[in-house]
Amino acid sequence: MTMLLNITINGQQRTFEIDAKQTLLELLRSQPEYQSVHRSCEEGECGACTVLLDGEPVNSCLILAASVEGATVLTSEGLVRQGQPHPLMQAFTAELGIQCGFCTPGMLMNSYALISGAGDIELTDQQIRKSLEGNLCRCTGYVNIVNAVKKAQQAKNGGQWW
Amino acid sequence: MKKREDRLIMGKGQYADDLEFSNMAHLVFVGSPHGHAKIVSINVEKALQVPGVVRIITGRDVMEHSNPLPVQADFKNPGWIWRLANVHAMDADRVRWFGEPVAAVIAEDEDKARIAADLVEVEYDLLEVTASVTQALEPGAVKLYDDWEDNKQVHLVFDFGDPARAFDMADQVLKVTNREGRVTGVPIEPRGCVGLYDRKNDTLEMWGSFQTPFLSRHNIAATLGIAEAKVKINAVDIGGAFGLKIHAWKENIVALASKLTGRPVKWMEPHRDFITTGPHQRDVYWEGEIAFNNDGTLLGLKAEVVHDLGVESTNKGIAALSIFPACSAPTNMYKWVGMHVEGIGVVTNKSFYCAYRGYGKDKGIKFIEAAVNQVARHLGMTPEEIRFKNFIQPDEFPYHQINNYVLDSGDYPAVLQKAMELANIDQYRTLKSELEGRGRYLGIGLVTFIEPAGVAVPNCQMGGITQARVLITPDGSVEVHSDRTEIGQGSEISHATIVADILGVKKETVHVKKVTSDFIGQGPLSSRGAVYPASAVAKAARLLKEKVVQCAASVLKADQDDVVLEDGFVYSSAAPDIRLTYQEFANKVFFFPGPRGLDPEILKRHEHLLDVTTTWYSPTTPESGSSYTSFCVSADVAVVEVDVDTGVTEIKKYVHVHDAGTIINKQVIDGQIHGGIVQGIGEALYECLDYDLDGQLKNTSFSTYLIPTAVEAPDIEIAHLETPSPFSETGAKGMGEAPIIGSKAVILDAIEDALSSFNVRVNDSPATPEKVRRWINQAMSANKGDL
Repeated sequence: MTMLLNITINGQQRTFEIDAKQTLLELLRSQPEYQSVHRSCEEGECGACTVLLDGEPVNSCLILAASVEGATVLTSEGLVRQGQPHPLMQAFTAELGIQCGFCTPGMLMNSYALISGAGDIELTDQQIRKSLEGNLCRCTGYVNIVNAVKKAQQAKNGGQWW
Repeated sequence: MKKREDRLIMGKGQYADDLEFSNMAHLVFVGSPHGHAKIVSINVEKALQVPGVVRIITGRDVMEHSNPLPVQADFKNPGWIWRLANVHAMDADRVRWFGEPVAAVIAEDEDKARIAADLVEVEYDLLEVTASVTQALEPGAVKLYDDWEDNKQVHLVFDFGDPARAFDMADQVLKVTNREGRVTGVPIEPRGCVGLYDRKNDTLEMWGSFQTPFLSRHNIAATLGIAEAKVKINAVDIGGAFGLKIHAWKENIVALASKLTGRPVKWMEPHRDFITTGPHQRDVYWEGEIAFNNDGTLLGLKAEVVHDLGVESTNKGIAALSIFPACSAPTNMYKWVGMHVEGIGVVTNKSFYCAYRGYGKDKGIKFIEAAVNQVARHLGMTPEEIRFKNFIQPDEFPYHQINNYVLDSGDYPAVLQKAMELANIDQYRTLKSELEGRGRYLGIGLVTFIEPAGVAVPNCQMGGITQARVLITPDGSVEVHSDRTEIGQGSEISHATIVADILGVKKETVHVKKVTSDFIGQGPLSSRGAVYPASAVAKAARLLKEKVVQCAASVLKADQDDVVLEDGFVYSSAAPDIRLTYQEFANKVFFFPGPRGLDPEILKRHEHLLDVTTTWYSPTTPESGSSYTSFCVSADVAVVEVDVDTGVTEIKKYVHVHDAGTIINKQVIDGQIHGGIVQGIGEALYECLDYDLDGQLKNTSFSTYLIPTAVEAPDIEIAHLETPSPFSETGAKGMGEAPIIGSKAVILDAIEDALSSFNVRVNDSPATPEKVRRWINQAMSANKGDL
């Protein structure tokens, strides 16, 4: 069964004809502009498909597209502004919190939600690690990811954020 | 400036799952639900009724239209067993492990292919499952391969030095055993590719997560019966590999599917399939005796290591070969009189054995380091005392080890010393005694080891020859080609750094090209990236530099000795104001080579072409037979606390001191160290593929096959020493596997130390809470509750 879905993705209002059993992940990956959203376990365990749904990080593989009518979705492409990487992205490359890059977009979105909601108080290692628990990375051992998140929070507290 | 990382971070990765071709069909495999069975019949009628299904391939088609998988390693030697299997990428008559593909559905989209795959009806006649090595070796056990005498695929026997004398000399002998569970590397991205067979030209091109395109081309071309010259394999962005994406076999069926349908065919492996039908590793049992003197001098080892290979391990993967490094690695960094080591590989009804970070070196090191620490405890020595006593000394390099390894360089005592300082080891030992009185159990683990890095082995596809090409284009940018795929381990940035430094250009103008099968080599495996490909690239860049200098001297009318290449400029130190950018220089060389531009002699000698292709091969391997060229040095200290009531281990501190020779990029090396250590922690504490007696794999997802999350992973402190290797072009040593080797050994040692008052031997990984509790209970009942 197909149906129409109205959704705002990265600030753009879009209308899609979707299959009723399509997941949000499948919908996003079917569009070339959102391919940073990666598919791996398809059961909500790895976090590679994490996007922000109305500001909250979710595993898009577990969300039926049909259930998000009218919602706002942010993928890591939506963090890029005027061709420039977001300060969070800059922190990830500066700290080399990225190796193969496959888990990175999901890590970014989860970190973005964490930092955006954290206020000015410096996040502790444990807070960061706990927050990223649902995003598996097999390359970095998480050390440089934690460092990148800290650096990004400093950037935000220094007024460099969007 | 990190070109690749900047691209990936902006969401511009081009991974296998992102590949899109016009008229592309999708392939989904149907896997066996049984561990061992005869295929009586396959009925595809219902599946073919699903709208959008293009074709269904079964084992019968694979056998009819393709050749068996080529043998990747053959070591038939007198006195050794090395059995080869004649297998196709998909069998028509029999399945030998849970998940083994029996059919492949090709449809217009993946969804339709998945629906149809569920409708493929297979009738099986169940066979007895061989679920363990013990069962496989029982007399009369069901044979996995009918033409073999029994289920033993490999039996290697090594005598290093003089083992008999070592045991004659010894004051004491201690029995040691060690077991490790079956694991898999599971990068977050599974395998995937697109095959595109061109019917008009009878050529095949593929794109995907190929860790070693050159070897994949050889193997895919052989099964399809197409000349290698008509096949091209392209690596795209790869979402982690760790060895698991080296060997093609399912990819061969994707290629065949494209050939049979005449369409581009894409296959993206579901993650569950990556675990059930992907490469597995470890799963070994060691039993042996270590000989030593009362003063702690190590003398010898007699040991046998039995590997559960799963199904045959010479065609789908090449990991029967990993039995060699497993047997050789126990010599580690110590002086020995002799060793007798036997390596046995047994086939069972499990997924096949293949490469995973460590590749046997880890097994040998884990075994010997546990044994050395047990000797130290037995003699009342500290772990550092026994090591300082037995280390090969800094003035003894190159050192010819009893197993033929030529150890290149290092300062083993200095690395250990540094690790102890960084870890404040004495302070933690004091704390351990204090806490023990209060019922808390702190353990301090210590291991030291060398990682044999950068492999070349005769009689197999790991022969070692490696090619690189470096060229300057007419606009002055630089292209770098090699076999070293970027799998997240920093190939691109490392090669860009090496080339930029040699040619005096800016890193931004160096373009490290994606790897294709056009360049010879085994890619990044066995930590060979910084040894073989980086050496080939450095050598090509140096040869190219000679050409640049000759041409520049001619263009600038300067003396060759005065030519300076720096920051993207070419000039003469005699006239430093006249500077050509590389762009201006290259333009003159390419487009104005005539007598008013370049010296005619340069043209006559063909030295104007700013393009060098060369090969590199180890300087030590040909003479010594040392299959590894460099040996990076590590010392790991871990502090853990074991909760004796729950069996849970918490890592309090982790220190890693490393000497990988000349550092090309510190951030990259640190990243490798962090990642490897955490993978090793996974093996030490959590990861184990759990097959039941019926051959069913019970943990096939991240929710049941537990890899460390950010919460379990510790912070990691690192220090570096830099003792250049005399044998690589850059002085760098390979290092990618060292971190995983050390961490699983040191965590287990730390647990043993934590439980020392219970007299528990931690010789079985992973040390899950259940197991730790069992050990404590067993120890307490053995000690009749004195504790």
